[in-house]
Amino acid sequence: MRKITLVMLALAGLAARQEGGAIEAAQKRLREVLARVTPAYIFIDGGSGVCISADGWMVTNHHVAGGQKVWPMRFSGGKEGVADLIGWHPLDDVAVLKIRDGKDLPFVPLGDSDALRVGDPVIAIGNPFDLGAGNWEPTVSVGIVSAMHVYLDSPGYKDAIQTDAAVNPGNSGGPLFTMKGEVIGINGRINPRFMNRVNTGIGYAIPTNQIARFLPHFKAGGRQWGGHLDGVQVGECGDDRFENVGEYGDGTFIHGIDEGCPAEKAGLKEGDILYSIGGQRITNNNRCFGVVGAWPAGSVVPVKAKRWNAAKKAFEGFETKLLLGSVEQMKEYYAQAGNRYYGFTPDYYHEGAGFKVGEVDSGAPGAKAGLKPGDLILEAGGKKLANWVEFRTEMGARKPGDVVKLKVRRGLEELEPELTLGERTLSQDQIGQADRRPPKKKDDKKKKDDDEDDDDAPPPPPPKKDEKPK
Amino acid sequence: MNRAALALILILARAQDPLAEEMAKALRSIRDTVGKSVVAIEVVRGEDPEGDTGGGPAAAHQDYYNRPLGPVTGTILTADGFILTTAFNVSGEVKRITVTTADGRKHEAKRLGADRKLDVALLKIEAKDLPVLPRAKPGEAKVGDFVCVVGRGPDISVATVNQGIVSALTRRGGTAIQTDVKVNYGNVGGPLVNLAGELIGITAHIYPRAHWGQSSGVAFASKNEEIDKVLEDLKKGKDIAKPVQGPWIGALLGEPRAGVEGVPVDQILPNSPAEEAGLDSGDVIAAVEGKTVKTIDEVKAALAKKKIGDEVELTIRRLKRDGKTWEEKKMKIKLAENPN
Repeated sequence: MRKITLVMLALAGLAARQEGGAIEAAQKRLREVLARVTPAYIFIDGGSGVCISADGWMVTNHHVAGGQKVWPMRFSGGKEGVADLIGWHPLDDVAVLKIRDGKDLPFVPLGDSDALRVGDPVIAIGNPFDLGAGNWEPTVSVGIVSAMHVYLDSPGYKDAIQTDAAVNPGNSGGPLFTMKGEVIGINGRINPRFMNRVNTGIGYAIPTNQIARFLPHFKAGGRQWGGHLDGVQVGECGDDRFENVGEYGDGTFIHGIDEGCPAEKAGLKEGDILYSIGGQRITNNNRCFGVVGAWPAGSVVPVKAKRWNAAKKAFEGFETKLLLGSVEQMKEYYAQAGNRYYGFTPDYYHEGAGFKVGEVDSGAPGAKAGLKPGDLILEAGGKKLANWVEFRTEMGARKPGDVVKLKVRRGLEELEPELTLGERTLSQDQIGQADRRPPKKKDDKKKKDDDEDDDDAPPPPPPKKDEKPK
Repeated sequence: MNRAALALILILARAQDPLAEEMAKALRSIRDTVGKSVVAIEVVRGEDPEGDTGGGPAAAHQDYYNRPLGPVTGTILTADGFILTTAFNVSGEVKRITVTTADGRKHEAKRLGADRKLDVALLKIEAKDLPVLPRAKPGEAKVGDFVCVVGRGPDISVATVNQGIVSALTRRGGTAIQTDVKVNYGNVGGPLVNLAGELIGITAHIYPRAHWGQSSGVAFASKNEEIDKVLEDLKKGKDIAKPVQGPWIGALLGEPRAGVEGVPVDQILPNSPAEEAGLDSGDVIAAVEGKTVKTIDEVKAALAKKKIGDEVELTIRRLKRDGKTWEEKKMKIKLAENPN
């Protein structure tokens, strides 16, 4: 009996293979999926969007729809409508709009992007080079998932899906689907070549699970803020300047923790290794910042960490809950940070009074004041500094153009240079265009939460502010 | 039921991945069958009238002088030696065209007519009994269908097969199908076929927007039935020009945005008049010839009043390095012919 079943199964398998049914079946599935999902595609301002509910909630990129409050839009096929910008998150490049009088609209619900794996085939629908203008037929391209959980520098694509499906200018804000027709990402960025904004086989999408976590906040309206590790200085596991730091890939190593910060309240200590945040495995600093930033500020998430037990000579795991920054704090920080620009970074590994200069940007305020890497800055504006954070707090009351007298120790020398605070020069495309530069490389060891905030400074306002959404 | 055996069968079935295997088999079969109808074309041209600097506003529409040397691709249309390719492949001051068929024979080819709107050209070689591709039914292809492009080059003795899907059906005024198959300066002119090896169209409309050899995943094929409409004219040697599109600066403009007065420049095409004049993406066009513009249409209307070769004065606003304040500039751009 068993044998017969086996033989029958084998024969059925062979028969299916001989008929050449696989291509046909795949072709049929693809046509069916496209017929189902394409109607939910949205043309907006030369870019793309997707409708995610029958009553007209739609998702796109902030760099597509963040600049204006009311937008004309069209569904695939040309049906017109008007959408209002409700929630926006410039640093994550996501905008959520509501289509007016939405009822029984074609939509695709957000799918589970964490189920996606490298190698999975995906479908991108978009409006590359505005080819769909006029006849309102979007462009469909297919490819595979090239990488998952990609952390990109500013603006923060914190947990991007990388795909080789053709994604070009105009695909921005458009959906990335699985072969089952689940929307699992919003395409928003490409790595171009030769200053030419044309696909090179590298496209990035914001995962829908990240968007879903923010969705209630988006719907409530206004600007959104990503989570961050407040008051924690982190380093890579395996960094041989520390003891018992495990191996690279184990997690993120906490080498400093401020008094009273959420992490301390959660019971974390210097020397702990964080290896899971919000159910996501943490392997290194990039992944840590990626996961933290992909949660809304103010979220309380379960974390897993391990701590070295010197007596047992082993790590012991434990779990706790961690607050990922607060919205108020972020607002305050951004209000305070303004557009001040120092043109140098601190050396985060300095111990003792003051702070040490890490890198100095050429031609920037720090360099103009004659600062050099390794300089120890002890005082600013007559105030003794305990650390870099104090320096920034001290600068908080000042504006670009203000002059600050510093007290600097360089070897045996003591210098008193004057630092003229500069103004941040973020160009428009740093807000989240499919940009023309490759992401700049940074020394991972120099990364920490403060540093990330630096990159995420607010974009410059447009020349006229009146119509900016409030 | 023997669970282990069942699991084994399932694992084996999975490991063999019938789709990937079948697809590879289908593509090899297309190489062998369709490949016979795909020819290599070698073109000898005169000197680039613009010189070999590669610059100048006119250079964009003379890409064929600047492109890397190498064979291009054509598709056999009839058994008696009519061959289709993209007009781009045989444009410029052409001195000699050599066609190499799949059997390795070389033929001198005569360039007959071309249609710039479809971007196809007709060649003729002296031959008979050439293999002709079967044709797909018009309108049969649907978005999402698996398709491929067969080309020859750089080694003309080997047919290349690139696979993708149909991206859209109604491009170029409905005359072209869009595909995400990688079409580059080697295989353009080759056939777009379905997996049954049936001809859907001839790949064409290579863009100067991409640099050499780079496919953006946005490619076009002029449909069979559209080519048929002009075939008799092409055989008579007629050169069908594309409708005059008016003077061109080579900048892609964006929709006006709240808070920005004027029309933003999204992208500058390489070797365009706009690039020559120093216009930059991110600039905002505030006025053309002193007249304030607020929409893309207003810019287009202002340019349309000019002739190819005229200079036009643009007033632009550019974000200063501080990222906050805008400076106003005037620049003169010499209008060229739109190469697309």
